[in-house]
Amino acid sequence: MKMIWWFVEKFLLYLASIFIVFSLLFILFRLMPGDPISLYFQTLACRYKVSISNYQSIVEEYRKAFGLDKDLFTQYICFLKNVILNRDLGPSILAFPTHSQVLILRALPWSIGLLSIAALISWCLGIILGTVLGWLRGGKLDSIIFILSLVFSQIPIYYLGLILIFLMAFIFGLLPSGGAYSAAIIPRFSLTFILDVIRHAILPALSIIIVTASSFIISQRQLVISILGEDYLMFAKAKGLRRLRLLYRYVLRNSIIPQVVALGIMLGFTVSGALMVEMVFNYPGMGTLFKLAMESLDYNTLQGIILMTIFVVLTLNFLIDLLLPLFDPRVRYGEK
Amino acid sequence: MMKVKYSKTIAIVFKNRKFKVGFVMLLAILLMASLEPLINYIRLGDKSPYEYASFDFWLPPSIEHPLGTDWFGRDVLALMLIGLKNSLIIGFLAGLVSLLIGLPIALLAGYKGGLTDAVLSSIIDGILVIPTWLIIMVIVLYMKRVSMFTLALILGLFSWPFLARCVVGQVRSLRNRAYIELAIVSNMGTFEIIFLEILPNILPYILVGFSNSIVGAMMAEAAMGIIGLGSTSLTLGMYIGSAITRGFFFRKIFHLVAFPILLLLLVFISFNLMNIGLDELFNPRLRKITGL
Repeated sequence: MKMIWWFVEKFLLYLASIFIVFSLLFILFRLMPGDPISLYFQTLACRYKVSISNYQSIVEEYRKAFGLDKDLFTQYICFLKNVILNRDLGPSILAFPTHSQVLILRALPWSIGLLSIAALISWCLGIILGTVLGWLRGGKLDSIIFILSLVFSQIPIYYLGLILIFLMAFIFGLLPSGGAYSAAIIPRFSLTFILDVIRHAILPALSIIIVTASSFIISQRQLVISILGEDYLMFAKAKGLRRLRLLYRYVLRNSIIPQVVALGIMLGFTVSGALMVEMVFNYPGMGTLFKLAMESLDYNTLQGIILMTIFVVLTLNFLIDLLLPLFDPRVRYGEK
Repeated sequence: MMKVKYSKTIAIVFKNRKFKVGFVMLLAILLMASLEPLINYIRLGDKSPYEYASFDFWLPPSIEHPLGTDWFGRDVLALMLIGLKNSLIIGFLAGLVSLLIGLPIALLAGYKGGLTDAVLSSIIDGILVIPTWLIIMVIVLYMKRVSMFTLALILGLFSWPFLARCVVGQVRSLRNRAYIELAIVSNMGTFEIIFLEILPNILPYILVGFSNSIVGAMMAEAAMGIIGLGSTSLTLGMYIGSAITRGFFFRKIFHLVAFPILLLLLVFISFNLMNIGLDELFNPRLRKITGL
């Protein structure tokens, strides 16, 4: 019974935070100076030499299509109804009659594929290397890798991406500099296509992995060292437990939980970084779509991408919250 | 009484080697950035460092131009110093904004506890979890031409949770210590307790939070620079962004982008070293192991 209430409370909190974030975003986008439609036509006029004689009526037409002619409150209700019930984000400016969610759903698999694989690899790598470093603290290996990861964890992901593109693609010519697959290959389920996709994903994934793994290495090392100072470890050592068992049962198990929580906290930061990496590599995911949408002031798509990323991050954090008691007997369902 | 407590904390801090190295590095960078007008005056005289075609285009590094010249025939070193100065100003101003917002919120949440704490803490965690860079980018995009100070304000509005998160837990645990109880019983005012008893003890955590906020803001600013968003003043991130659009990849002039990245990296590393040093000093579990 207690467990159900705990679950209901968590779930309501999750729903409430999503609702608040969605509302705040709606307000933010409506607070922006200038009307997005006329702003768009102004940039058209000055960038592409488009002359518009019946400017007012065209803008009115578009405002109607985007639902901007109604008052703010009706717009807000419409927005919530469309997003939550119909999963409709409204028409995009980028590719006008197409709705934004179509563009986003087209880009989403690329982003999810890249980010999830890179995040998983870097998390595992960070945990393993960090544990080893903490165990061998003070040694030569420890100090070398520690300093390296200290440096790499501070490079913004997109800058590492730039350096990698420069070295690997332009100096050595080993790997492609951008995109997700070669233009010459037809996207279908075949071995050549898959290999090509992997070849294109190596550099962006590598830049995410190096940076994220480094910061996990540092935090895991710190955690392991602090666990090694605990009294129960001293006792376990005194009992004469084998070192591997000690490492696995006492050190690793106690450090996994804070690292799972850390993964949840890092996620937002990593997602932002990964989207920036996509922009640098022109990877056809949400980051590149965001960049394109910014160029044409496509507020529906911008809003949609931000909603999507926030939704994903909040949902993953909610799931981590739910799953945590499974890993950690100390955190029981229904207890704080 | 207050003076003794603050100076004691500061004296302890400088015993740690990592903190000292980070501090000296940061000091050197700050010195370099603050000497920018003088260095540029000596090297370039009255000529504006932004002047189109002051020198030949794309010159390789030489004694006269230690970093060469760029796509507009401007001296790169002069621009790097200006960019570094502006990046640091934006970072520190944003850090200051987050200090002004984050510290009172953290103190309020930690000291009051209960529902106030629950609400404020979930707001802090919420903003931390959300990918805020995208929101900042959209704001800057729609505001079109923002000044350096407006940009710092916007960045600070989103980076205060970094600071608040570092501080709130400490305030919460201090709140239940015996000497705070004693202070309450002995009729000290809330402000007196906060300024005399709590603040000196959480000073290292405020410092960690402050530098986290600065680094967070500078990273966000650099990220925007890469896609050509930013304030009207030149920063390192914006310079990198324009180097990419001006054919840096095809000309294969590595230092044009590597040097600004290195400068930013040095700033971040020095802050991080200071943070790790503080953590080793003030985290009791770590202190036991490192033997300090």
